[in-house]
Amino acid sequence: MAEDAIFDLLHMEAVSYVFQGDKISEDEAVAKLEHMGFATGYRLVERLTRESGRFKDELDIMKYICKDLWVNVYRKQIDNLRTNHQGVYVLHDNRFRFLSHMAAGKQYLQYAPRYLAFTCGLVRGCLANLGITCVVTAEVTQLPACKFQIQVQRG
Amino acid sequence: MTIYNLYMFDRDGQLLHYAEWIRKKQSGMSREEEAKLMYGMIFSIKSFVTKVSPVDLKEGYLTYCTNKYRLHLFETPSRIKFVLNTDVAAQGIKELLHQIYTQVYVEYVVFNPMCPLNKPIESELFAAKLDEVVRQSPAHASRPA
Repeated sequence: MAEDAIFDLLHMEAVSYVFQGDKISEDEAVAKLEHMGFATGYRLVERLTRESGRFKDELDIMKYICKDLWVNVYRKQIDNLRTNHQGVYVLHDNRFRFLSHMAAGKQYLQYAPRYLAFTCGLVRGCLANLGITCVVTAEVTQLPACKFQIQVQRG
Repeated sequence: MTIYNLYMFDRDGQLLHYAEWIRKKQSGMSREEEAKLMYGMIFSIKSFVTKVSPVDLKEGYLTYCTNKYRLHLFETPSRIKFVLNTDVAAQGIKELLHQIYTQVYVEYVVFNPMCPLNKPIESELFAAKLDEVVRQSPAHASRPA
């Protein structure tokens, strides 16, 4: 689909834009992308949840992220959702879209985190607007699979 | 039917990728030198054919045939050239080359942020997918007919 291609390419350019130049450190660049994702997610979720009712609880919101949000943004569902019922959720995507064209295996593994930062922010932004404050981190051991860990901040 | 080998050139004649399935006779020169000669020949044939053609040529596909093998040239609108050698009887190569372009090159090079577009392709996923597509094609067989 053409609109997906535009999103993919724009994201690619966003990543290469924040990483260009030597002045900026890896952490700073990742933080920038994460912030972009946060702002996008914060607004996006308002639009996407227009029609849906209120959510029952936290788990209900996470299910929404895994199904509807992921389908809307990445055209597929999260493959596996795990939780310890104490505020930690782990979302497995076995074929993450931003990584699926890059490699199958370990090639380019060191660059993979760059392509997850935006999505971490996106998830955090969505949850923030739905009333959940959290920290989202991502991990890759083998492309194109990755997992996002959501740690809900209580208190 | 058999597929021998494939060269991919960018618009400036740089060799982007070379893949080989069956090749019994090597040219006896370095790959770079061989690629330069190949590109030079393709370039000349193309301009010759366009000049002497009695009708308008629009298609980006050309092929010539010797007694032993057939060379297929497929050129995209962005002027990337795919050169594939097969045996004389191979069928459906134009479709195969188009498939390699749209389903392998575009997907795994153009949409791969790690692949610069005017450098030789280093992606292992690209090489693997290319191999897969060629091996699945009906024109590929393990031994020459």
